[in-house]
Amino acid sequence: MKHLPAHTIQVAGLQKHYVVHEKEPGLAGSLRAFFHRKTKLVQAVAGVTFTIDPGEMVGFLGPNGAGKTTTLKMLAGLLHPSGGSVDVAGFTPKERRAAFLKLITLVMGQKQQLLWDLPALDSFRVNQAIYEIPDDEYQATMREFNTILELEGILKKQVRKLSLGERMKCELAAALLHRPKVLFLDEPTIGLDVNMQVRIREFVAEYNRRFQASVILTSHYMADVTALCKRIIVIDKGQIVFDGDLGELTERAGARKVISVELARLVTLERLASYGQVQSVEGLRARLEVPRQTTSSTAARLLAELPIADVTIEDPPIEEVIGQMFGGHRPATADMVRAQEPQEVGS
Amino acid sequence: MGRSSTQTATRGKRGPFGFILRYLRLAGIFAAASVSAQLEYRTNFALGVLGALLEATGALFGLLILLGDGQSLGGWSYYEAAVLLGLFTFIQGMIGGLLRPNLNKMAEAVRSGTMDFTLLKPIDTQFLVSARNVNIFVLPNLLTGLGVMGWALAQLPGVTILSILGGIVLVGAALTIVYAVWFMLTTTAFWFVKVENITELFNGLFRAGQFPVTVFPSWARFLFTFVLPIAFITTVPAEVLLGRIRPASVVSALVVAVGLVVVSRWLWLRAIGSYTSASS
Repeated sequence: MKHLPAHTIQVAGLQKHYVVHEKEPGLAGSLRAFFHRKTKLVQAVAGVTFTIDPGEMVGFLGPNGAGKTTTLKMLAGLLHPSGGSVDVAGFTPKERRAAFLKLITLVMGQKQQLLWDLPALDSFRVNQAIYEIPDDEYQATMREFNTILELEGILKKQVRKLSLGERMKCELAAALLHRPKVLFLDEPTIGLDVNMQVRIREFVAEYNRRFQASVILTSHYMADVTALCKRIIVIDKGQIVFDGDLGELTERAGARKVISVELARLVTLERLASYGQVQSVEGLRARLEVPRQTTSSTAARLLAELPIADVTIEDPPIEEVIGQMFGGHRPATADMVRAQEPQEVGS
Repeated sequence: MGRSSTQTATRGKRGPFGFILRYLRLAGIFAAASVSAQLEYRTNFALGVLGALLEATGALFGLLILLGDGQSLGGWSYYEAAVLLGLFTFIQGMIGGLLRPNLNKMAEAVRSGTMDFTLLKPIDTQFLVSARNVNIFVLPNLLTGLGVMGWALAQLPGVTILSILGGIVLVGAALTIVYAVWFMLTTTAFWFVKVENITELFNGLFRAGQFPVTVFPSWARFLFTFVLPIAFITTVPAEVLLGRIRPASVVSALVVAVGLVVVSRWLWLRAIGSYTSASS
């Protein structure tokens, strides 16, 4: 390439709006909507501006429906922006040039490209042909992926018979076979157990190191982002509300931890409240929010003083953190459980 | 599969020949993967073979019954009508084998969002959605159609090498027309999302193609020639096969075919431009 831009990704004033239709629940609502459709304009991305350098790993955070996925899809050229400009590796994504598509990849934790009825190896071969990967390069890449991802033994099994984690490893391998320089990873670890999350993270980090690839990662798991990204961009309601160092964000956000306990028998709410801020109680399960510094001592006290069957310590969910940091609206106790369910709007 | 890819590794410019060769090779790889996927389920595959044979037998008997009384049909003699019916069966098989498996899945891919992966591939996306799957169970049907056509053609005096070559070209044009029309109807899924009833609409229309257009009243003949190009799907190629070459209809069949492909391409590019994807 003759023209080498200073930044791998340059986004200015990027916008995307959709027209969606709404309907009342039930058959009557459906009939009404069939003949008279009520539409409204949804501003999924309302003018975002940022740049990303070669080899940089950036975490995209934000509540569901904030516009993260929509932004990624515009960067990948899938969606045409409604306004603003995008430049990725010197290309305009929406033109979808072959040379551009060979430089990027998009991994979506909730969608799969592997052929369901065939072993992953067959999908790899198809991708090899599509991306015109020479045989020797293909073999070398496969050898590397084999060692980092431990694919041995699962490549020849039908994809539909793989576990979710095994499938995600194969999905990643299929998506990176052509050694892209720009990676868009949308919830790549969703639904995976902790071990597998760690494995996937290590792989992404290793890939970034070896190929100097730029990575944008969205995840619901704070740990994914903290393990991989120095820089965080927080999006809320289609706008960037924070762009900066991870340390700065975690200082604000990670100041508190959540202790989830499962009690052996009922305990009064007042007694629970003496250990921390009670977030939710559901039968014998309760969630307490405590300051980070006192997490371990509080957990120890809980174990010693209360009839505890099980205890886990985790970071507060990202939705909650961001809600606290930026919107100021604290999710009410009753919303706590629901707040973790995906409720994507038009993205 | 994929053994010879080092040759195609040259990433610079390639001539039109290399371009065609690459896409033919891709079509081969897609077909191989598609057949492999069907072979993964042995029982289902065996059932498919059985069903295909039964269907072909049924089609053969259907042809025999339709042709049974030895009467002419809309000015077409017994054997001429047999050529037309054989051709119809053949084209139906080609549609079932090459077009239906792909076009049926397109709308679903838009609805579920897996179209994302298709659109991210660095090859022609219209080709990718159109050539990804094949159904080999139509083979007996194809052979039945070809057999009936061959048998009937052998009984007719006017058939020459030239008319057969011309016929092959026009069958190609016919398949192209069917593809383009169906593809355009399916492409509307990008705006309307769920359009599977279009397949039914299309099948209903296509069924009119098993009769020579001359059996229809003149208004329908006009409709099937100029508005919905059913005439070009079976009647015109059959006429050419029979040695009744009318340059005007040959030229118009080719023009219609090329024109429809151009329009389908334009529509496809419009469609992917307004793709909204599905929630992740």
